[in-house]
Amino acid sequence: MISRIGTSFLHLQGLSAMLLQQAKLAKVQQQMSSGQRLTRAADDPAAASNALGIDQALAELNRHDENAKSLQQRLNAEEGALTSVGDVIARVQELAVQANNGTYSDSERKAVSAELHQLYDELVGFANSGDGTGRFLFGGTQDGAAPFIRTAAGVTYRGDQGQRQIPLAPGLNVVDGDPGTEIFQRIPSGNGTFTVSAAAGNAGSASVQAAVVTNGAAWVPGNYTIQLAGGNYTVLDATSTVVASGAYVSGSAIPFNGISVTIGGTPQPGDSFGVAASGSQDVFATVQKLIDAVDLPGTTPAINAQRSTLYFGAQQDLAQALAHISDARANVGARLSAIDAAGLQRSAAKLDAHTTLSNLRDLDYTEAVTRLSLLQTALQAAQQTYQRVQGSSLFDFLR
Amino acid sequence: MADVLLTGASALLAFQRQLDTTSHNIANVGTDGYTRQRVTLQALPGQNFGNGFIGNGVQAVSVDRLTDPFIQDRLLESLSEQSRLDRFSTYADRLDTLLSNTDTGLAQPMQNYFDALQGLSANPSSSAARNSVLAAARTLITRFQSLQTQLDATQNDINARLTQAANTANTYAAQIAQVNTEIANALAASGGQPPNDLLDQRDQLLSQLSKEIGISTAAQSDGTLNVFTANGQALVIGGTSSRLSTLPDPYQPQRLDLAIDLGAGPVRISSLASGGEIGGLLDFRREVLDPTASELGRVAASLALTVNAQNHDGMDAYGSLGGDLFNVAGPVALGSSTNTGSATLGASFANVAQLTGANYQLRYDGANWSVVDATTGAAVSFSGTGAAGNPLTFGGVSVVVSGSASAGDSFLLKPTASAASSLALATGDPNRIATALPVRIASSLANAGTATAGGLAVTDAADPNLLSSASIVFTSATTYSINGGPAQAYASGSPIAANGWSVTVSGVPAAGDTFTVSANVAGSSDNGNALALGALSTAPVLDGGTQSFNATYAGLVARVGGASQQADLQKTAQDAVQATLAAQRDSVAGVNLDEEAANLVRFQQAYQAAAQIINIANQTFAALLAAVRS
Repeated sequence: MISRIGTSFLHLQGLSAMLLQQAKLAKVQQQMSSGQRLTRAADDPAAASNALGIDQALAELNRHDENAKSLQQRLNAEEGALTSVGDVIARVQELAVQANNGTYSDSERKAVSAELHQLYDELVGFANSGDGTGRFLFGGTQDGAAPFIRTAAGVTYRGDQGQRQIPLAPGLNVVDGDPGTEIFQRIPSGNGTFTVSAAAGNAGSASVQAAVVTNGAAWVPGNYTIQLAGGNYTVLDATSTVVASGAYVSGSAIPFNGISVTIGGTPQPGDSFGVAASGSQDVFATVQKLIDAVDLPGTTPAINAQRSTLYFGAQQDLAQALAHISDARANVGARLSAIDAAGLQRSAAKLDAHTTLSNLRDLDYTEAVTRLSLLQTALQAAQQTYQRVQGSSLFDFLR
Repeated sequence: MADVLLTGASALLAFQRQLDTTSHNIANVGTDGYTRQRVTLQALPGQNFGNGFIGNGVQAVSVDRLTDPFIQDRLLESLSEQSRLDRFSTYADRLDTLLSNTDTGLAQPMQNYFDALQGLSANPSSSAARNSVLAAARTLITRFQSLQTQLDATQNDINARLTQAANTANTYAAQIAQVNTEIANALAASGGQPPNDLLDQRDQLLSQLSKEIGISTAAQSDGTLNVFTANGQALVIGGTSSRLSTLPDPYQPQRLDLAIDLGAGPVRISSLASGGEIGGLLDFRREVLDPTASELGRVAASLALTVNAQNHDGMDAYGSLGGDLFNVAGPVALGSSTNTGSATLGASFANVAQLTGANYQLRYDGANWSVVDATTGAAVSFSGTGAAGNPLTFGGVSVVVSGSASAGDSFLLKPTASAASSLALATGDPNRIATALPVRIASSLANAGTATAGGLAVTDAADPNLLSSASIVFTSATTYSINGGPAQAYASGSPIAANGWSVTVSGVPAAGDTFTVSANVAGSSDNGNALALGALSTAPVLDGGTQSFNATYAGLVARVGGASQQADLQKTAQDAVQATLAAQRDSVAGVNLDEEAANLVRFQQAYQAAAQIINIANQTFAALLAAVRS
């Protein structure tokens, strides 16, 4: 306990008390006008350092929002294009059924052929759809130029098989498109396991009516020939070894190696049908084959049978193409819903980040206002005390 | 009988002294460093009249300062510390604000740069996205440079203040020496009476000096006071003072060290000086400024080197393998001004992950090199000999010595000192950003199996065959060969690597299935490498691959903020200590006007009483005379 006070010390003490309160008031004023508790890192070094990390995470989430918007736009464009492609293929299917009518004359088929040509052009057009920003949807990562170009041999792809991964949320990348190869080209032919075709020189009226897999495990991929002669059939493999044989009955199945092919009509001796393992066939070639079948002139039983087998093959191929396109659409739909899910995930993460940042950095106004009024009171007290203390001196009484 | 007149006169004189001293106290109520004074009175020895000793009045023996030398010493210490913390916290606050403010710090532009790269990865063929990466890079570079400029300006500021503080300290030291002489003379002349106001003046000078540099004092029998720096260098001995000065650092002439001249030329004492303004400046420079500069450089260098390396792994829009995106200067090796050999050091970055914020001193003893941490002096382990084929390698840098070093030569190696200021764009062409992977993969349309390829990545961009076409042909469901080479076993999901790339094939392939890896081409909108560039934002590349750029910078902000916060807290505490000490000193030495007023009244009354004694003596004498006359 100090029992003696120097006059100038008393003065200095009063003054420094006022200055201290004023400095504290200035700090509250700065905090309240900026709304931030941390005006610099020294106010809370750990919080400031954490806040920088959260700032970065937040910026990344905002970037992911942008990514999601442009990705959604691209995928919507792709979905639109795929829907149109599906519509075209469905119409081609209709036409294939319509044309597969034994009573159609050459001129009636010509009308069908004209529409098919038109649809073919549309198909190429959709395959070269743009994404609205000058890039092509189905070009892989070579999307600066139209990916499908028409040549004498059909349509060739000049894009690549690249795909971009777009980050949508921490740890979640979504593919932003499909290369043309995967949508239009890598489509299994026939029924997905094998294809059946008629030999070019078949003279009878026999044509393929069905081709199904009865036991996938027993299927041995390879080329087979079904020879019809003398009321019997013989199935030979690529090395001319007999795989199966029996009596030929029009309209009943010829089973071998886990598959069965149904041939109907009356074959001429020496007529044969080929069975081959499915490969990839692009949708343009599929339509072109149908056009070629429709364009096949003549109405003799042999030509009708040839055409019938071609229609059968085309319908199988078209069904494959339509299924493939629907799968692709489903895939795009799944990605679109992944975008939505990622959006929810981001919103939650953002809310977390904002809450944390706010706790770290933002000012609690209630606390600040309380502190402000407390400091004001303290300053007034310091001022009044100073005035009173300085106002009393013994010299005032020595008169 | 005793002489009433003489007794009264002695009292008059004594009370006159007391009134004088009280007036002096009142007059100096506002004088800094003034110590109140008091007249010590003593009764004059009485005279024996046989029936007892009759007193002869009073005399003023001495005028003393009411001071507590113990508090005075503690006050000097406290003033020193207060001034050190004041300087330290002023600079630390300034640096903290610089680094943590969004408008001046690095966090925002760094974040924007990686954000632009991530934007580019979503849209690799957009020239707007490419240009915004370059624009963000320019802003980032400007920010690095302006931060470095601010740090350099602070270094210069510290140099100037150090020189100024040394000069101010010299002035005070010289004045103390002079007052020492005057005190010794006055003591001798007055026969030991204290020259109070000279003593006050010296105490005040000591306070001023202790604000510049930490000191300790030792009183001498002749009344002089010797003054030493906190670690024992003599600043004032009796009537002579030594000179503080500044000397250029032997490695970096633009940086000043504190030196003292004890008569045999200036000697560096930067590492020894503590306390006061000078201590604050040196502490801040050593503890905060230098590490901040190194750390900033480390972020700049590692960012430039890492982004460059990633760009090398990709293919730009022209179809060429990526080049550098940033230019950054390598480590700086500075020879000591005392080196006698002809050796020069060529230093380069060897490993970003191992870069530290430390600076190193390399010493040659005539046969071997040794490396120590320049700040702590701790030995650093290294490998190599310094020959071109076998460089000295430590802390993520490698050093090649050319020329011949002499024994005793030393060098200062600052790995990242020039990185922030030298950072520049290596190319202004946005198409040089390598967004695409250099290779792409295609699966043949004839593939009959279910195998798919994914996860194509470049493992060695320097492989000369990277861009050569390679076919992975499956010879059966479980074997494959590359370009017709030997059959290798295939396991679904495990990577297949060749020519500096690797790819993961999964699923069941059929014999004859083919995947072709070939060079990517110009204008590819592949984003494989752009994703990797964007991912550098959070990639742990520093500190042995544990810290991201942002985390490292956040660490720096926390470190400077922590230093600033600590200095502020210490300063608040020291202010309280100082206030307590000042109150204690003042309770003894301070003038209280009420007390002096009371004293004034007391001494006035005493003086009036003494005057009454003269009056009484006079009347008594007059009565005696009248009795004799009549």
